[in-house]
Amino acid sequence: MSKSISRNWQQYMPTPQAYWIDRILFDVHHKPGHLEQYRSDPDAYMREIPLPAEVKALVRDNQIGAMYLAGANPYLLRAHCLGLRIPEATFLASLRAVAAEVSRG
Amino acid sequence: MADLVGVFAASHTPVMLNFPDAVSEQDRTAVYEEFTKLGTAIAATEPTSVIVISDDHLHNFFLDNFPAFCIGAADTYQSPAEHWLKVDKHTLAGDTALSAHLLGEALQAGFDPAFSMQLTLDHGVLTPLVLAGLSRQVAVVPLLVNCVQPPLPTMKRCLQWGRLLRDAIRSYSRPDRIAILATGGISHDVATPRMGMVNEIFDRQFLHLLGANDDEELASYAAEHVNEAGNGAEEIRNWLIAHGAAAGCRFEVQFYRPLPSWYTGIGLARWHVAPQ
Repeated sequence: MSKSISRNWQQYMPTPQAYWIDRILFDVHHKPGHLEQYRSDPDAYMREIPLPAEVKALVRDNQIGAMYLAGANPYLLRAHCLGLRIPEATFLASLRAVAAEVSRG
Repeated sequence: MADLVGVFAASHTPVMLNFPDAVSEQDRTAVYEEFTKLGTAIAATEPTSVIVISDDHLHNFFLDNFPAFCIGAADTYQSPAEHWLKVDKHTLAGDTALSAHLLGEALQAGFDPAFSMQLTLDHGVLTPLVLAGLSRQVAVVPLLVNCVQPPLPTMKRCLQWGRLLRDAIRSYSRPDRIAILATGGISHDVATPRMGMVNEIFDRQFLHLLGANDDEELASYAAEHVNEAGNGAEEIRNWLIAHGAAAGCRFEVQFYRPLPSWYTGIGLARWHVAPQ
């Protein structure tokens, strides 16, 4: 496979950091009451999550492209954006802005 | 003895339900009509149950426990799992006897599936059934394949799973009529910078190889080129299982159209199996 071709996945095995990003995205949309808790105070919701503050900020600020680069599962990312009703154009623009930085080959 | 009465495949992208107006009326009508035809074809096989081969998009499974293959073994399944999917709530009927038989045969044959007696099925199962008009008419046995979170099962293993399914249906003592519906794909990217890319060349070659009766070449092509077709294209594993189950029976593309505005190469197909 050409080294210039984008890979389907940023990580072939999730890092612990990716796990915790995914944990947030999963819980917010699957555990009763979590979406409301997250919406009302995302910083408080993520307080006990073992992630650096700058990574939590990516989640809180809906930095979709950056979360993708950090290894967030794309399906969880997609569902998160649909669940938060992030406009489709905003979602796509954030992803496309990081196109030059994706894993290749 | 049970009969394998039909083997089918169809895309399952939820945008067909959530964003119907993103494509032209002509394209939307064409796709919906093809799903209606698919439903008619499946119903014509008079299936006792439909084995729906799909993937769980991280609703039932998470990174704390993620099976490569999981057979549903519930008597009913709630659906959809997604609170954002624009579709009515469903309770799909299951077939616990067939689930138990498939599990037993798989384990005896050296496969190691997980099983679950409580699954809330997502758009991968529900979207094609709804569009085909079958969501309240057929009993289902879900076979959920990990196509969504690496590390993923190999393409070759999926072909082997298909052959296993065929053998398991043959050995089922009940006089049932069993159909298979594989869902997902073909090329598409979900939440990547390439989202909206459709790789028509990949899709058409994959469909060509499904009809070419060379499983080695098919599995190699799938493995070597799937990165050119998007993370959603990993769902061709489900099609490969259907292909393995069809065991060389004639393959027919019912419909294919690249629809970037739905982010997906939409495909529907069938294998012309004849009851044994």
